Amino acid sequence: MALGIVTKRLGNKLFPALSSTSRLLHSHATSFGFKHVNEEEKARMVGDVFTSVAKNYDTMNDLMSAGLHRLWKERLVSMLNPFPGMKHLDVAGGTGDVAFRILDNINRVKQRGLQDGFNDALEAKTQIYVCDINPNMLNVGKQRAAEKGYGEDGSLVWVEGNAESLSFQDDSMDGYTIAFGIRNVTHIEKVLSEAHRVLKHGGRFLCLELSHVSLPIFKELYDLYSFSVIPRIGEMVAGDRESYQYLVESIRRFPPQEKFASMIADAGFQKVEYENLVGGVVAIHSGIKI
Amino acid sequence: MYRTAAKRLLCSARQFNGNAALRFRRHNALITYSRFSTTEINQPFSNPHSIHDAIPISTTEIENPTLYDSTSSSTSSSSTTDEDSHRFESPKSKTKYEDEHARLLSASLVHVMKLGWTETALMAGAKDVGLSPSIVGSLSRKEAALVEFYMDDCLQRLIDKIDTDGSLKNLTPSDCISKLIRFRLEIQAPYISTWPQAPSTQAQPVNVPTSFKQRAMLVDEIWHAAGDNASDLDWYAKRTVLGGIYSTTEIYMLTDGSADFRDTWAFLDARVKDAFDLKKTIQEAQYLAEAVSTGLGNTFEEFVGKVFRR
Repeated sequence: MALGIVTKRLGNKLFPALSSTSRLLHSHATSFGFKHVNEEEKARMVGDVFTSVAKNYDTMNDLMSAGLHRLWKERLVSMLNPFPGMKHLDVAGGTGDVAFRILDNINRVKQRGLQDGFNDALEAKTQIYVCDINPNMLNVGKQRAAEKGYGEDGSLVWVEGNAESLSFQDDSMDGYTIAFGIRNVTHIEKVLSEAHRVLKHGGRFLCLELSHVSLPIFKELYDLYSFSVIPRIGEMVAGDRESYQYLVESIRRFPPQEKFASMIADAGFQKVEYENLVGGVVAIHSGIKI
Repeated sequence: MYRTAAKRLLCSARQFNGNAALRFRRHNALITYSRFSTTEINQPFSNPHSIHDAIPISTTEIENPTLYDSTSSSTSSSSTTDEDSHRFESPKSKTKYEDEHARLLSASLVHVMKLGWTETALMAGAKDVGLSPSIVGSLSRKEAALVEFYMDDCLQRLIDKIDTDGSLKNLTPSDCISKLIRFRLEIQAPYISTWPQAPSTQAQPVNVPTSFKQRAMLVDEIWHAAGDNASDLDWYAKRTVLGGIYSTTEIYMLTDGSADFRDTWAFLDARVKDAFDLKKTIQEAQYLAEAVSTGLGNTFEEFVGKVFRR
């Protein structure tokens, strides 16, 4: 997996590239893949997509990424470095993949015997909030949790909500993750500023998202795979070509790594970095709230 | 390498540049400030306990969000000067994450004695300074960062001692070296129970470049204080030998149960003496070799001459 890490610093850009950023954001808010739509409609259309794919979501993920998505999520969670007693918010976490992995990680850490240092922290209960705008995705998640036995001690809380206006209090979360979700929101900057709001001092923001590939030959292969193979698989397995067409188009419309990193910095985060996985097919952006 | 031509101030500044992510802290309690001749904006927040006009260090006040000037700007790269300009333009500046990291690391040192050089200590430190323990995840090479921070702190204290202690000049090199190594090891004596973790963390391949550099600086400082001005091959030999003495003494100290580590200091003196004796021995061996080769050379010439004259 190729690693490309760039550190961006927080800057009050006096002459920010506001014109280009706002144009980009406006175009994100009114784009549904390569189609142009009204802002108000975008959320509904995305909602329809996920309502329809919810049942097969995990299977399709496995097929499209050849199982790699599991490794990407593992990497996300290890970068997060969870600890017992943590309050974590996983946004657009619908089917619970990231949340389950965080819980696994915390339980492993507990077994390693960090208890002595954490006597007071263990009284603070680990709470992972899974927030998703789409109730169908949440239902799938709750089912999976019940099957696998996660969250029986109340450490998992399923919340239906909008990433652009979260119902959580300021400075209440130790960590915030959004995996494969930020591409689908209408207003990226609102999501980022909400993330900044709910995080505590020292809290971390992590975003795992499909991103842009720039390696020459690999890019062509990836484009070919995206536009030819994925919608076909969608058609055959989920019976829904349109949704998967939207998926691959929305990846192309999302800002590239550097641009997204600067947007994160604009929202107030520091030490904004990103790491490319698989040559840029996926990127993990991270930032700290200071 | 580090000290041959430069003055001490430049040297210190370069150290900061090398440890870009870490910041020096002078003695845990003091909060220092750096003032630059250029601008001082919004000083109402400032509470300088001591001002060092020469050494560019800065850390933030724990209570107030203070204005501070960028660190290591005297030998900084262009990226940090960009930040400077950003900061000067905005009336209220924000605390930078590196300072938060520095605060975190120094707060964590307190917990090391109980919890070892581990993530747990870091998280406990984070709670102390009011940061979410998540921030530990953003430190690259977590425990190693803590150890490196501590090593830098110790080195700084050693440098202070060298600066302030005038009696060192009157000692012979071997005594001076003994004294300095002893001082340096005494600094880390409080952590002796958890100490084995620290060098072993530093020995991990990922951490070796930084730890090697820190060790090199330490050895360099000591030799320089002992009055060494060589800049030839001898330079490397001296530092390697001193590095060896330091490491072995440190390891000896780990298993030393005598009061005040008396046995360790005896061991140290013996090693230093050995090293200097070795040096004399090598010199003498060199002279001997030269003499023999000259003699042999003469004999050979005569022999060849006789052969060809025939």
